[in-house]
Amino acid sequence: MKQKKIDKTPARLDFTQSVTGLILAIFISAHILFESSILISNEAMYKVTIMFEGYYFFGETYPGIITFFAAAISVIFVVHAAIAVRKFPNNYKQHKVMREHVLRMKHEDTSLWIIQITTGFIMFFIGSVHLYIMMAEPSNIGPFASSFRVVHEHMGPLYFLLLLSVVSHAFIGLYRLAMKWGFMEGKNTKVSRARFKFLMKTMIVIYIIVGSLSLAQYTYIGLTHDFSEVKKYKSKIIDLRAH
Amino acid sequence: MSKEKTPRILKIGILRFDPHDPEDVPHMETFEIEESDGMTLYIVLNEIREHHDNSLKFDFVCRAGICGSCSMLVNGRPTLACRTLTSKLDENITLAPLPLFELIGDLSIYTGKWMRNLNEHLETWIHDKENELEVDKLEEKMEPELADEIYELDRCVECGCCVAGCGTIQMRPEFVGAVGLNKIARYHLDPRDKRTNAEYYELIGDEDGVFGCMTLLGCEDVCPKDLPLQSKIAYLRRMMIKTSMKNN
Amino acid sequence: MKVIYTDVLIIGGGLAGLRVATGVKERGHDAVVLTLVPPKRSHSSAAQGGMQASLANSHMGEGDNEDVHFSDTIKGSDWGADQEVARMFTHCAPKAIRELAHWGVPWSRVQRGDRKAIINAESVTITEKDEAHGLITARDFGGTKKWRTCYTSDGTGHSMLYAMDNKAHEDKIDIHERLEAISLIHEKGRCYGAVARNLMNGELVAYVSKATTIATGGYGRIYSVSTNAIICQGMGQALALESGVATLGNMEAIQFHPTAIVPVGILTTEGCRGDGGLLLDKDGYRFMPDYEPDKKELASRDVVSRRMTEHMRKGKGVKSKYGDHLWLDITILGREHIEKNLREVKEICENFLGIDPAVDWIPVRPTQHYSMGGIRTKYTGESQTLKGLYSCGEAACWDMHGFNRLGGNSVSETVVAGMLVAEYISDFLDSSDSNLEIHTSKIESFVKKEQDKLDALLSKENGEDAYILRRRMEEIMMDKVGIFRNETDLKEAVDELQELLKRSKNIEVFRSKSRAANPALVNAYRTQRMIKVALTCALGAYLRKESRGAHSREDFPKRDDENWLKRTITSWPDENQTMPSVSYEEINISTMEMPPGFRGYGKDLTKHHPMTKVRQDSVDAVVEKLKAEGKDRFEIQDALMPFMDKLPKKYRGINARLGENI
Repeated sequence: MKQKKIDKTPARLDFTQSVTGLILAIFISAHILFESSILISNEAMYKVTIMFEGYYFFGETYPGIITFFAAAISVIFVVHAAIAVRKFPNNYKQHKVMREHVLRMKHEDTSLWIIQITTGFIMFFIGSVHLYIMMAEPSNIGPFASSFRVVHEHMGPLYFLLLLSVVSHAFIGLYRLAMKWGFMEGKNTKVSRARFKFLMKTMIVIYIIVGSLSLAQYTYIGLTHDFSEVKKYKSKIIDLRAH
Repeated sequence: MSKEKTPRILKIGILRFDPHDPEDVPHMETFEIEESDGMTLYIVLNEIREHHDNSLKFDFVCRAGICGSCSMLVNGRPTLACRTLTSKLDENITLAPLPLFELIGDLSIYTGKWMRNLNEHLETWIHDKENELEVDKLEEKMEPELADEIYELDRCVECGCCVAGCGTIQMRPEFVGAVGLNKIARYHLDPRDKRTNAEYYELIGDEDGVFGCMTLLGCEDVCPKDLPLQSKIAYLRRMMIKTSMKNN
Repeated sequence: MKVIYTDVLIIGGGLAGLRVATGVKERGHDAVVLTLVPPKRSHSSAAQGGMQASLANSHMGEGDNEDVHFSDTIKGSDWGADQEVARMFTHCAPKAIRELAHWGVPWSRVQRGDRKAIINAESVTITEKDEAHGLITARDFGGTKKWRTCYTSDGTGHSMLYAMDNKAHEDKIDIHERLEAISLIHEKGRCYGAVARNLMNGELVAYVSKATTIATGGYGRIYSVSTNAIICQGMGQALALESGVATLGNMEAIQFHPTAIVPVGILTTEGCRGDGGLLLDKDGYRFMPDYEPDKKELASRDVVSRRMTEHMRKGKGVKSKYGDHLWLDITILGREHIEKNLREVKEICENFLGIDPAVDWIPVRPTQHYSMGGIRTKYTGESQTLKGLYSCGEAACWDMHGFNRLGGNSVSETVVAGMLVAEYISDFLDSSDSNLEIHTSKIESFVKKEQDKLDALLSKENGEDAYILRRRMEEIMMDKVGIFRNETDLKEAVDELQELLKRSKNIEVFRSKSRAANPALVNAYRTQRMIKVALTCALGAYLRKESRGAHSREDFPKRDDENWLKRTITSWPDENQTMPSVSYEEINISTMEMPPGFRGYGKDLTKHHPMTKVRQDSVDAVVEKLKAEGKDRFEIQDALMPFMDKLPKKYRGINARLGENI
């Protein structure tokens, strides 16, 4: 049979949206966990930071690695957003129809999508700001530097909002990915779906609690630490010169 | 069963509109009906028509949950009215026609036309140019499990509930919806249909097809026949991605 | 005036109508299908249990063939069927099912090896042959010697109808939805189409065609409780009747299905009993073996329905506020079987009764189910009196069911009759007989007449309420023209229906005066027609002084071949008549392949016809002689009652089976 040329773009877009979403979700769940090392101790958080700056590989720290990371994530973030935005209601009529539909149906998964749309929209702005700062000031990460940013550069409220958005967006997204691709689908798909949904909700709750506690800890440090004396955390064990 | 309880008085709010009446505008009208044992919305609506307002338009055919004619929004959710027992609902019940379909009047909608267009568009029939039908010969064999699997998807009654329950299609009416995708899954499964994956891709490999689906799963949750729509759409998505990667 | 011309106008978009449409299209003729509802919503979709075709693939069907299917069908009909038609039917049923398999019906298949089945309340192991693996399987149904009913779970009609409608899409058949034919256009004994009303906007359209086919199903809704869809109101029969020319056959032959749920009358398939389900009374006692020790629950439908009614009359029914009922127990089949092969039944039980049939018994009682009678046709499907008018499926009295239809033979009839009638129609269209010779003015007068009738209905004042008349008619049919019938009740029924008919001329459409979509207007004109149909049924029953198949007279319990081996023919030549005209069509014993005999239920009460013995002896002699000569079953059959020459050439081939003609 003669093979007609098929248009692969829709497939590629769809696949890319899922893959970038997956990467971002994995990234963010690791990110928040690393961030929460502050709950263990300042030292632990410091170690995590310098790990990402390459200390354990090179013996010294390169904040440029963070810049690189942040840039990479930014690219994925932008790609994801650019592709996903085609699913947004793109005019008032669509917006209105969808709103009516959601209110009428009172259907959980449809409402969850509204959360994703909203949080996605929020992240356009806060996420971009956050990523930009990380690229611009990669060395200003650490128990004290981060706390300073949270309290004295007034990033706290923004981070909290970002936390709520990113966590719900990511886990709802992961749940939807599993549904979308039939990931680990059981014989009874209703049962496997219910399990995924439960997992999603649990993870959202856990991450918001852990993230909020970390943020509280940074805020506490930010409020109690005397930044006029020590701006940057100094490890008592590891001694290094920053580049 | 409990003894001689006073029956409830149901308040049935119906979204009414006669597009053939130039004076008419969509409006809610409420009827009060005394509930009886085992009452379904089929009984309720016929009672309204027979005793309250004989101009009320609605569609029932089999009244047994088999034919898919009587889909409507019951308290905002699409479902088959004939098999909805009033005892499972609150006494205030609102009924409205399914959105998206052409309105004939009141609760009566023209699903037939929509579904026919869909079927014609997706060519939902067996495509087989190789095998000539020979009615005297033994039928082609088929694995029993496969026949069961095909029947599972063939159970769709084209009621339109999945369409009304789908957020995507509300915004983008060109989307084929779960009903269309399920049909493609059904024919793809069927070895008698000789269409290639690339040909299926031509039909559903775009934003109006499987890639338009945003996995809101309204379809799965309102399907009166409990079809495995989520799972089959996922399957089609995997298959279409594979096809796009293989095909050069 | 809007006029649409086509070769074949098909009224009704169920299995039979669609099969005719694809058939004539294949022969190069245009077809328009008029349908009240989208074709996929037709009542054909509600056929659950299966389609009979003697494929003989499954172990329990081994040895089955056209002969056995034929003999079951004739016995089932209580010798009322047209034997040639029944032969044509049984010969073509395997072809029809194979055709449908080709078009995509996912028939349930034979699984090689052992499987458990419930037969007569006991679990038995059935071993399926290796070579049958993957072929179409079959289940047991009432009144059949072999397991012959092919199925897809219990959604057989649904999957057949979907395949058929999809085939119609493929063939680009014109389907005009929500159009109701309201009168036939005819002149000098020749039918030229129909006037139809668009149910969405009220417009009248004249469809002018060379051939017209009525495939509108049965008339179950003249009864207050029926398993039929609410659109099965006998409007096809009424169309034919009101032409004044076409005739109806055996309208009194009404089948009651043993197991419809109480109170709503929704069907649970015969497959429930075929697969091993039992009927129990109020004490949980299985009573059928007491009445029918041989076939028990799987006796013919008319027999089971009567036995159930008898048993309830003995006080053994379960009392309920909706009257007495009995129990259908399918719990013994096990949950797995129910969820796989009886899913619709399960859904119906859950949704309408709130019970789980794998645990609970189902409340059932016999309920109106099928109309054996209908538009009387020749074997070609053409009306005997109105040329160019065809009919097939339940709408017709083609007459393969006589006075009782076997379960599984109805969907089978739709597709078999559809494929044959399509050929006969095509032959007619290919001949010069089919030329349209009708004036536009004549067409116009038919449209005008209908328009006037509608106008009169809408402008009527101080008239009758159609609902009141209709409900009364339904009650009369229910109470007086039911499973058991008697002179007094039938006389009352006929008289009262006649009274209702007179009143119905005075129907007023209250309040709702729209000319467009208007359910009140529809109800008004349909009620007038339904009462006419009900009258043909009640009058036929009143006059038939014998018991045959589903027509059971308490005052005449014997089958009387001497006086009543004939079809009731009703017509309505003058529209001012308040009663149908009745005549009779003799059934000729001397050409029967299978002369009248004993069906094998209860005691043989038949008053035999003298000719029966003569014919039986001659049949026996021929069979004996030909067997001695070593002739095969086809040659013997041909010698007894040749029918092949009547079949379209393409369907004359001999059917292949495992071990036969491969």
